[in-house]
Amino acid sequence: MNLGFSVWLFAVSMGASALGGTLGMASGIFIVPILIMFGGVAIHTAVAASMVSVIACSCGSAAPFLRGSLTNIRVAIVLETATTLGALTGVFLTGVVPVPFLYFLFAVVLLVSAWQMVARQREPPITSENAPMRDWATSLRLHSSYPDGALGRDVSYLVQRVPLGLALMYGAGLISALLGIGSGVLKIPAMDTALRLPIKVSSATSNFMIGVTAAASGVAYFALGDINPHIAGPVAIGSVVGALLGARFLMVMSGEKLRLFFVAVLIALAGQMLLSAFGVHWIGHVA
Amino acid sequence: MNDDRARHPELEHLIAQVLDRGTWLASGIITVGLLSSLVGWPSMGIVIGGIALLIALPVIRVLLMLIVFVRERDHYFGAIALLVLTIIVLSALLGVHMAGRMSG
Repeated sequence: MNLGFSVWLFAVSMGASALGGTLGMASGIFIVPILIMFGGVAIHTAVAASMVSVIACSCGSAAPFLRGSLTNIRVAIVLETATTLGALTGVFLTGVVPVPFLYFLFAVVLLVSAWQMVARQREPPITSENAPMRDWATSLRLHSSYPDGALGRDVSYLVQRVPLGLALMYGAGLISALLGIGSGVLKIPAMDTALRLPIKVSSATSNFMIGVTAAASGVAYFALGDINPHIAGPVAIGSVVGALLGARFLMVMSGEKLRLFFVAVLIALAGQMLLSAFGVHWIGHVA
Repeated sequence: MNDDRARHPELEHLIAQVLDRGTWLASGIITVGLLSSLVGWPSMGIVIGGIALLIALPVIRVLLMLIVFVRERDHYFGAIALLVLTIIVLSALLGVHMAGRMSG
């Protein structure tokens, strides 16, 4: 085992996870392109390693949200039927889809994420009084409330448009399995626009769900032998340490500057992935 | 209207504990495996074990939800949890099948 390369994997994953965490983004969207373009790692190995780190970050950060009653576990398990089915489809497609298409898809996801980071705006959640009551969310008893620290009381919310949410979540699971990412790119429209969850509930619940979504493809990649412990090991540990550090960075760094920096990084990575999709490689590998 | 209709406080605390401790345990196992390989011991099997535990954690979480929903006689949600578990098992079987096709 190459010590230098292990340390590099650990450091890159820690940095991506710490910085990603401050903006509520999963680290996979940075880790996968960096492993491929700078580490010379094959795309399927990079995706599988990232999947392990996605699980580690989801499970490692779930407890405070659960204890704070922010995670809606009923909404989570309902949507997980769609995300795991999407992941199953994604696993099947990895054997069929050509690698340049994966690069291209990744570039698209990076660009849409950059755009969402600039444009993310929220509609106010619908309050209990003016929403329809005869729908899926009501019969599944998904509506709930969460304690809001700033207001000092419980805030009730209604869950909207579950079928649309399920459809978007199927896509999110599929992209997650194909690209090794948390696919916030589809979860944000699904949780905010379709289901209209309050932001704290939306973040906590999607963070909770991504572990199961990633495990659904993770078991397949494990069976396929795509999980290389020399790569997935340092990436997983680096991501866990980074997630712990990220929670502290959040306090000291300026949000707006960090946002602009991230948009620039996302666009740069997208450009690189597009070049790779068309077979152009001009960045040296570290290993 | 009952504000606590979608809450399961005991189940939430149980899951929080399992995921929290499980992540620390799995990370510890992976770290031990990586460090021992640095001093030359053949320990990649330990790392793989830690990774397997990590992947198993969310699956255990769904299993816990299944057990609690069934015990609470919430059969509809029991069935939903069972469906999620079934899809994960199918995915594992698909992986085994694809691996067999590649080597055979």
